[in-house]
Amino acid sequence: MHKRTLYLIILTLLLAAYYLFLGIYLHNIGYHNQESLFYAEKNKILFEGIGNRLKVMGLTSPILPFYGSTIFSYKNFLLGPVFASAIGTAILFFIMARTLTKRSHDDYYMLILLILFALHPGLLYTACSGKSIYLVLICLFQFFYHILRYYKSNTTFHVSIASIFLVVLVFCDYKFIWLTLFFIPLVLFIATQSMNLSETETVFRLVQSFNTPALRRKLINKTFAIYIIIFLLPLASIAIFKMLNLTHANDLDYFLDSPYATWTVLADRLGFEQATSFAHYQSSQISPLVTASIALYCPMIIIAIYLFRHNTYQILTIAAPFGFVEFLQIKYDKIFLSQEYFLIFLILSLLCVVFRGHRHENQRMMKTLLTATVIVQLFAGFFFLKNSFIDEEREFITTLIHSSPNNGQVENKEMASFLDTLPNDQQIMMDDAVAYPVIAFTHHVQRLTLPYQETYLSASEAPEHYVNYILIATDRNPLTGYTQLNNKYLPAIHKSDSNVNLQKVYETDNWVLYKVL
Amino acid sequence: MTISVPELLVRDGFLARTDREKIEALAIATEQSFIKVALGQGYISRKNYGRSLNNAGYEFQPVRDEAFDVDVLKHITLIFADAHMALPLRIENGKVVTLMADPSDRLFVDFVKMTYNLDAEIVVADDLEITRLSHILLGGEYVKSAVFDLLNKDPNSSALTTFTNPQLIIFFLLLALFAVGAVLHFKAVMVIVNIIMSVFFLVAIIFKLFLALVGSRFELYQAVTKHELAHAHNDQMPVYTILLPVYKEDKLIKKLIWNLQSIDYPREKLDVKLLIEEGDDQTLNAVRNLDFPGVFDVVIVPYHQPKTKPKACNYGLRFARGKYLTIYDAEDVPDSDQLKKVVTLFNKLPEQYICVQSALNYFNRNENFLTRMFTLEYSFWFDYMLPGLDTLDIPIPLGGTSNHFKLDALLELGAWDPFNVTEDADLGVRAYAKGYKVALVNSTTYEEANNEPINWIRQRSRWIKGYMQTYLVHMRNPARLIRKIGIRGFLGFNFFVGATPITFLFYPILLIIFLIYVIFDISSIKLLFPDWVLFVSIFNLMVGNILMIYVNMMAVFKRRFYELILFAIANPIYWLLHSAAAYMGLYQLVVKPFYWEKTNHGLSKVNSATNVIK
Repeated sequence: MHKRTLYLIILTLLLAAYYLFLGIYLHNIGYHNQESLFYAEKNKILFEGIGNRLKVMGLTSPILPFYGSTIFSYKNFLLGPVFASAIGTAILFFIMARTLTKRSHDDYYMLILLILFALHPGLLYTACSGKSIYLVLICLFQFFYHILRYYKSNTTFHVSIASIFLVVLVFCDYKFIWLTLFFIPLVLFIATQSMNLSETETVFRLVQSFNTPALRRKLINKTFAIYIIIFLLPLASIAIFKMLNLTHANDLDYFLDSPYATWTVLADRLGFEQATSFAHYQSSQISPLVTASIALYCPMIIIAIYLFRHNTYQILTIAAPFGFVEFLQIKYDKIFLSQEYFLIFLILSLLCVVFRGHRHENQRMMKTLLTATVIVQLFAGFFFLKNSFIDEEREFITTLIHSSPNNGQVENKEMASFLDTLPNDQQIMMDDAVAYPVIAFTHHVQRLTLPYQETYLSASEAPEHYVNYILIATDRNPLTGYTQLNNKYLPAIHKSDSNVNLQKVYETDNWVLYKVL
Repeated sequence: MTISVPELLVRDGFLARTDREKIEALAIATEQSFIKVALGQGYISRKNYGRSLNNAGYEFQPVRDEAFDVDVLKHITLIFADAHMALPLRIENGKVVTLMADPSDRLFVDFVKMTYNLDAEIVVADDLEITRLSHILLGGEYVKSAVFDLLNKDPNSSALTTFTNPQLIIFFLLLALFAVGAVLHFKAVMVIVNIIMSVFFLVAIIFKLFLALVGSRFELYQAVTKHELAHAHNDQMPVYTILLPVYKEDKLIKKLIWNLQSIDYPREKLDVKLLIEEGDDQTLNAVRNLDFPGVFDVVIVPYHQPKTKPKACNYGLRFARGKYLTIYDAEDVPDSDQLKKVVTLFNKLPEQYICVQSALNYFNRNENFLTRMFTLEYSFWFDYMLPGLDTLDIPIPLGGTSNHFKLDALLELGAWDPFNVTEDADLGVRAYAKGYKVALVNSTTYEEANNEPINWIRQRSRWIKGYMQTYLVHMRNPARLIRKIGIRGFLGFNFFVGATPITFLFYPILLIIFLIYVIFDISSIKLLFPDWVLFVSIFNLMVGNILMIYVNMMAVFKRRFYELILFAIANPIYWLLHSAAAYMGLYQLVVKPFYWEKTNHGLSKVNSATNVIK
């Protein structure tokens, strides 16, 4: 093995160990987030659940991060996602560092990469939170890397690999399907540029191509072919996945809209509702200055644009994510832009620096600029996380900095502990659309009657015949409106069958456990 | 005779004096007669040669029914008779009745006199008729050797025995086990079968995608660069043999010979053998009627079963003079610089590389649906799959034509198996097993894509049957195969050669199950599909189809055949044709394993322009 590769592997392993240490530490002092708890619950069902698990297996979304967490969930369901994100982020570092070592032997750039991966709060959040951002960033890096390589080599290999990574990206975060919109004009531009014409200006090339029948045919064929090669896989995969949703869940958008399939439905709504309920609520993310805030968060992107200033393709390619993020702001106006969408610019700018930085004629100036931006980015990363509108992001940085125990999930843990004390033969009905954190903390998923099981429907109509306990969301539970098993359920069940008697056996602020008599 | 034939041809203006000198020099160098070189190296057409002899008062005699004496024939070898286009037949009236294409061939006349101690009575005849008779009367030993050499040398590699006893025992044991299991525990057995099929498909799909990606990675790699080719000088080129096995290809002969003229290779170093079957008068007459000179010798393959292309090639091999050898089909249009590229590549490669495979593609790709699909398939196969196998060091199943061999190594391997109907794929594995390697060259031969469905199914059934034969031959002793080609080669062989027919046999079964699943009650099907098996099956069906369609698209994208890209979507229908062919091949494997399903060529209405590389 090459010496540099060996060092790189050692460095990656050390980084993975560092992330794991931080991740486990945060886990132990109580930091959890909705996404990792959701994966933990689904993995529990997958490995230990009883009944028809096909839907859980195939329609849980985002599906690939879920499978990523499954790989590490064999021993510990709660730590599985943390292991996945820690090792995944270390792999991201390895991929980027390997790309760098292939292009340059200047250790300065490696140092920059290492500093950012070791200290940048956003990347630490990626690595230690158990969220799926790591996979998004890996795919995003690979997608843009191969697109940039394609511009240079014009080979099918790079464009098809880019397409495959776009598919993976979409299955890590569905919103990235909108990124394709911003590649549509770009592809036409690429096709026009690749025509063998005497004109040099793009507009004139386009005019010439469209006014000559043979050239027009060629241009259309080529443009269409590139569209197909880049977009067929993601679009067809989505179409097929939607069809599977339709056949198995009677809903094309089950994976997007159902709280049983994805954690984002409730988490996003809840986050927004909570944030906007404050009187002094004012979001910079609502303003049209998202692009400016990205530049503040990641000034290195300006250097990236500067490095490609003579290459129109590449500039337009870097511009595409800006359009994408602005579009998300308009399309999903009730959702805050999470750290993930800022981090894509950090990765993109690093990719550009890896690609071109070492080739700049004035290395001293380049390195000075990069050092300054790295320092700014470390602080900006901290600032953005600390002032994030998303609770989980704020809690992450405060828990990490202050090392103080996080009590966000105490109540769910308390209820889960109580459920674990119940006799083994007792069945508890609960709705994992809202109660997945409780399930994630329990140890006996076989005792639970959950909506993925065929008996759930009957149990919810005639609980006395099927279950011994029912977990109800109280009115104080912010998600009470999203589950059938809330306070409205009890009068309804009494009305349909007056013989059903329920006895309250355990209560917390958000949950009440009833025994069915 | 007062004037010699060479002089006659010069006098009649059919031959330049300088050409005559060249022919004479070449004749001495190659130990052939003047007329053999003049006709075989394209200095004069048969029409002009006949015209010149007629003008001089000679008339070609019909010789097919001439009596012959075995005792006379045993004094001459086929090689010598063939080299001189002359054949002593019998002794009559104290003279040896001798057929000669060139009555002024002093060397042969002297040979007759010295061998039989009698003067020759020369019967002037058409060179093709003499060649035909020579091969029929003297080629017995050669054709036997062409058929049985491999069998005698390495019986384990011969496909003469289709199923060995242990293979039959294992097959029937599995069948019995399945039947008994199905009676006792139908559900459990069907679940196991489902699991096996699903996992098999999953691995096969992933393997093919992986191969395609590995292959596509080296898209820009040029085995031989333009610069290297520019430095390949004619005087450094060795003699190159081209075998052209043809059967009832009278419509294509003119095109074939014309295409060969455009090959950029020194003419005197080309040794082209047109292999015509004994009973194929159609093709022989077409050759006779050619009105332009062609660079080729005719070799008549005497009748012997099995009547297969590899047998004809093995026979032609006995007369090959080249250092390297390649095969082209009748409709092939190779890149004009292909031979030079191959020689340059062989010079660069280590000794263990004994074969270089060129890419194949189609000149009539836009003719109809079938030709478009065929082009998609071939582009994927030759541009991605084979480079993928090559990179991973897995045995390459050679393509039917345009594989270039080192002649000595080919002979050492025992040449082609005449009992195997995909002798090329078999040879690739055998070469690999002996530690030899196959390389790929960045040159393409354009063929005629089959444009007629029945003809297509016939051709494909032969290919799939051949893959089954090859698989059965090499899997007679799996442990030995692993020892020879390693575990990676073994897995590659299983997933490439073995899995191909099995995939096509399974495909319609799974499609029917899917249709039942969609149309009828889902719950009853679920009994046979546990959750995760159903999940894998759905993944295979959806993702597998998409990926296979996509890799086909990648291949035509690479070739810049943009207009074909959408046709890749029709692959699932095209695979049904494969399945039909696979079942036909399976049936033939049992009832007539050596039967060669002849593909009709020349059906295309598209013109095959010669592919001159500038």
